[in-house]
Amino acid sequence: MLSLQSYLTLSAIIFSIGITGIVINRKNIIIVMMCTELLLISVNFNFIAFSHFMQDLAGQIFVFFILTVAAAEAAIGLAILVALYRNKKSISVGDLNKLRN
Amino acid sequence: MLLEIIFYIFASILICASLGVILFKNPVYSAVSLILAFITTGMLWLLLEAEFLAIVLVLVYVGAVMVLFLFVIMMLNIHQEEEKSGFTKIAPIAIFLGLVIAAELIALYWIQSDQFSGLESISNSSLSVDNTLLLGTELFTKYILSFEIAGFILLLAIIVSISLTLRTRKNVKKQIASDQIAADPKQRVRMVDIKRGGN
Repeated sequence: MLSLQSYLTLSAIIFSIGITGIVINRKNIIIVMMCTELLLISVNFNFIAFSHFMQDLAGQIFVFFILTVAAAEAAIGLAILVALYRNKKSISVGDLNKLRN
Repeated sequence: MLLEIIFYIFASILICASLGVILFKNPVYSAVSLILAFITTGMLWLLLEAEFLAIVLVLVYVGAVMVLFLFVIMMLNIHQEEEKSGFTKIAPIAIFLGLVIAAELIALYWIQSDQFSGLESISNSSLSVDNTLLLGTELFTKYILSFEIAGFILLLAIIVSISLTLRTRKNVKKQIASDQIAADPKQRVRMVDIKRGGN
């Protein structure tokens, strides 16, 4: 029988892979955004697992709203990225120090 | 038993796909790997009887968000050479961080396992209610304000992303609607007295 812990463990592994990807990546902001999507999906996994095991539908409602906000966030982030690439001709994380001075 | 086999197969595919997201050099491969991760997550959500959200995940993420990602990747035309640099120096710290976070979370779940003992997987399939109906009933009654705010956020995202990426070139002969509306007809037609010629 599959317990709640196995789902939570899978979600924790995906979450730590997403964190590792954000920290390890110094070349490409698109990969960082994809890792953010991985983090969101692991959190949604937790919500759905608890919703199933506690017989409470509120978890799925929350996942619905998280999906909405994540889609909006991805669209705005990619728009910012396109505008940034137009100005700087680069999307490397290391080049983004324009705001420093 | 069959459920466990399906779970472990899809869990291993999901872990491999999400490792592929961070390990591939080419961003296109990463995006395709993320698509695989989303589809696998949808399958696992079907196991948890969240059918509506599983379909929504595949439709919205694979159908819309990841296509957007792929479009942006191909539009930006990143050079392959500059991607090789800067991967090695910080990698041990990052892997250590990830392992620590994973170990902490998993240890928390399995040491405190008596907290989860009362929770068992109860199948809804015998109840003859569908997930979409229940979710819609909750969403349109109890959470109606949040639902409308979510719609407003999506509208905001449309406006913001269009206005960020809109680029107007010079010397384009297009209509400017505000100028047209603001035009005054009295300035457009000028009456000129013409002296009548002839006799």
